[in-house]
Amino acid sequence: MKVKIKSWHAIAQWRWDTGNADHDEGDGEGDVCGICRVPYEGCCPTCKVPGDDCPLIWGECSHVFHMHCLLKWIGTPASKQQCPMDRRTWVTAERKVPSQASKESEVSA
Amino acid sequence: MISESGRNQILAKWQESFTRLNGNQPGIAGLMNFAKAWKFAREYLYPIDINDPSPKVYAAQEIRAAFEVLGNARRLAAIFETFLEDMRTQQHLITRDVNHHMSRYEETSDPRAVADLVFRLIQWHTAWAPGQEFGHQVLSAFNHTFQTHTFSVLPSSFSSGFKSLIEMTLEPYLDTEESRSRGKEHPADLRLWAGFECLGMLERYESLISSVCYEAIEKHVWDKCAKSWVEPELANLREWMTDCIVPWMLLPYARGARNSEEAKVMLQGVGARFDFHMCKTLCDLRIGEIFDIIIDYPDSKGALQDLKECLQRVDQRSQLVLALRKANTRRLLHPGADTKDILAQYVSIMRCLRFVDPPGVLLHKVADPIRKYLRGRPDTIRCIVANLVGDKESGDSLADVDEPVQPLSQVQMEDYSDPNWEPEPVDAGPDFRTNKPSDTISTLVSIYDSKDLFIKELQVLLAQRLLAVQDGNFDSERKNIEILKVRFGEAPLQVCEVMLKDMTDSKRIDQHIQAQDECVLHSTIISRHFWPPLQGNKLVMPAQFQEVQDRYANGFTEFKPDKKLHWLPQLGTITLELELQDRSIEVEVTPLEAAVIGHFEEKEEWTTDALISSVGGAVEKSMMTKALSKWANLGVIKEKEGGEFVLLEVQEEGGASLLTASRQAVVEETPSVITVEQQQAGQMKVYWRFIEGMLTNLGSLPLDRIQTMLRIAPGYDKTVEQLATFMEAARREGLVTVQGGLWKLNR
Repeated sequence: MKVKIKSWHAIAQWRWDTGNADHDEGDGEGDVCGICRVPYEGCCPTCKVPGDDCPLIWGECSHVFHMHCLLKWIGTPASKQQCPMDRRTWVTAERKVPSQASKESEVSA
Repeated sequence: MISESGRNQILAKWQESFTRLNGNQPGIAGLMNFAKAWKFAREYLYPIDINDPSPKVYAAQEIRAAFEVLGNARRLAAIFETFLEDMRTQQHLITRDVNHHMSRYEETSDPRAVADLVFRLIQWHTAWAPGQEFGHQVLSAFNHTFQTHTFSVLPSSFSSGFKSLIEMTLEPYLDTEESRSRGKEHPADLRLWAGFECLGMLERYESLISSVCYEAIEKHVWDKCAKSWVEPELANLREWMTDCIVPWMLLPYARGARNSEEAKVMLQGVGARFDFHMCKTLCDLRIGEIFDIIIDYPDSKGALQDLKECLQRVDQRSQLVLALRKANTRRLLHPGADTKDILAQYVSIMRCLRFVDPPGVLLHKVADPIRKYLRGRPDTIRCIVANLVGDKESGDSLADVDEPVQPLSQVQMEDYSDPNWEPEPVDAGPDFRTNKPSDTISTLVSIYDSKDLFIKELQVLLAQRLLAVQDGNFDSERKNIEILKVRFGEAPLQVCEVMLKDMTDSKRIDQHIQAQDECVLHSTIISRHFWPPLQGNKLVMPAQFQEVQDRYANGFTEFKPDKKLHWLPQLGTITLELELQDRSIEVEVTPLEAAVIGHFEEKEEWTTDALISSVGGAVEKSMMTKALSKWANLGVIKEKEGGEFVLLEVQEEGGASLLTASRQAVVEETPSVITVEQQQAGQMKVYWRFIEGMLTNLGSLPLDRIQTMLRIAPGYDKTVEQLATFMEAARREGLVTVQGGLWKLNR
């Protein structure tokens, strides 16, 4: 017998590729943004739509945040341009960041 | 011995009487005269037997002379006294006649016997009555004596006879055609009614006469209006009253009216009474039918119109409420009725009662038990929501199509500056609040205290529908969400908005990926956290399928470098083509079924357990059996003894009768989206650990104590009632016992 797939309507969830292993396989809440405590796949408090409209930002320090959350933090004088998690100067990791986001972060930084 | 003065006194009295009787006549001539006149008058007045063939005739001259003598002697009162006494002695004559006629009536029950009796009594009455010239006082004394006697001898059967006699006179009037053509009363009836009046029967049997009329009205209303709800009947009934009853009423109630104006005035009181009775009868009738009238709405608008008008005239509102509540409990609020039907009827009730009573007091009273009952039903919300999104399967939409979509009305505070403010209706209950007639959906949603439940259920429903969409056309869902936004507001439906956006995005992404690298797989990519929890038993697909998935996922990651796909392999549908030695089959199946047949490609014989472990081991046995039986039904595999399934490369005789129907639609019996209840039950499972710990450490606890302690637990938002339901469920499973309100672990 030969089984041939004619067509397939499948369902999938998208995830941010944070570089971490998929340890939240299944129903886990997944990682949350260190600033707003909302899952990465959710959106920051000011956004309504997740995904490309509310992207993530990767730092050299390996910390990941919602881009909007981080930019807001960097925008406050108290931040001293530091990563809120480890107090190192925030450097956006170029490798993973979408081009648009990196431009914006450079402007604000 | 009598004293001197006594004797003198008697003497003076005697002398005075003598003078009075004798007048100024010499000797006792006056006395003689008086005696003659007395005798004559008594004879003249004497109640004769009318059967006597030759009545005496008296000359008017003589009569006048005799009574003049008596009048002069001031003995007129005495002579009438004697006359009434004579009447008493002659009463047996009447009694005989009464008995004769009444026994005839009792034998035949023919009301005409009663009529004859009445006429006969009138004959007696005329024969015995003293002439008009004796004045009013005498006549009324005579009438009184005559009536007293007559009524005293009438047997008890007379009232029923009298009633049927009245009915007989009424009958010809009830025939509309005839009464119109006739135009005039029967002369016999006129005489009869005159007789009734003369004998004083009108007053005595007044209630009997009106009861005849009441009964006629009742009968007519029942005949004409029962089960006829389309047209308002009240106007026709009133017309009928004017045409049929009023001409008849002229006889008993407007006797002696010289013209129609006078008759009108005389009929006013009694006419209003009959009209009231008619309204009441109609009202009772409609109240009895109210449940079916509501079912028939809007075809029964006429009946409602009647009811409305009648209720204004007759105070039957509380009866209406009682009757409808009773009918609802009996016919609607029981386990046999579909929630859908209950909702539909509730909506009809709303519309009907709003029509009958715009302020909504009646509705408020009737709706309360329905709302309470609906709150207790598990699938009420789903029904309402299904209706909100215009689920085609749920049949008629509850809301009117032409009803404008408007935001859900909030509970309004009373506006004290409203110039059109009106006080609450007098029969409003204490918790009644004057609300403006709100639209149907708002009312339904307000059955529950919060809108959140609806939003949650709405999400689940929307998810189910969206995931089932294959052709990428979900315009109707989008439209529904837009409508619902108006009702619920933008914010709560944000999640639904994301779901819809996911659908459009998936379509775009899929197009892009297909353009790069054509693939049989098309996917719907969803944002988790924004979709209701999806049912998932982990499923491992055979290598062939995994390859396709991986290729697609790679394509996705190329397109969106910072994202990756996480498959929900148990969801979706697959169309497969099986090439067997002698035939090929094209069929649409679920992923599990596809995985099963994929494994048969590698090896021809499988046991159920082996298959379960090969697809990841997380599939329930019943699911697997179902998947296997699907293929068995298609004649692709068959079950051997010992629970093994074997592939049929060559079709077996008679084994593939279902092949013709091979392209069956996938029947999703288990919804792929977890319903709200299942979600709640899942959440409670977490808290069960806490409860278990509590009860282990503290022994037995009352419910509110458990609730208080659970509040400390993170994210606990259940009410005491929900907790109680949960504990009850746990008790049924034998995990806990309850005694005197104290819960403890069952060990």
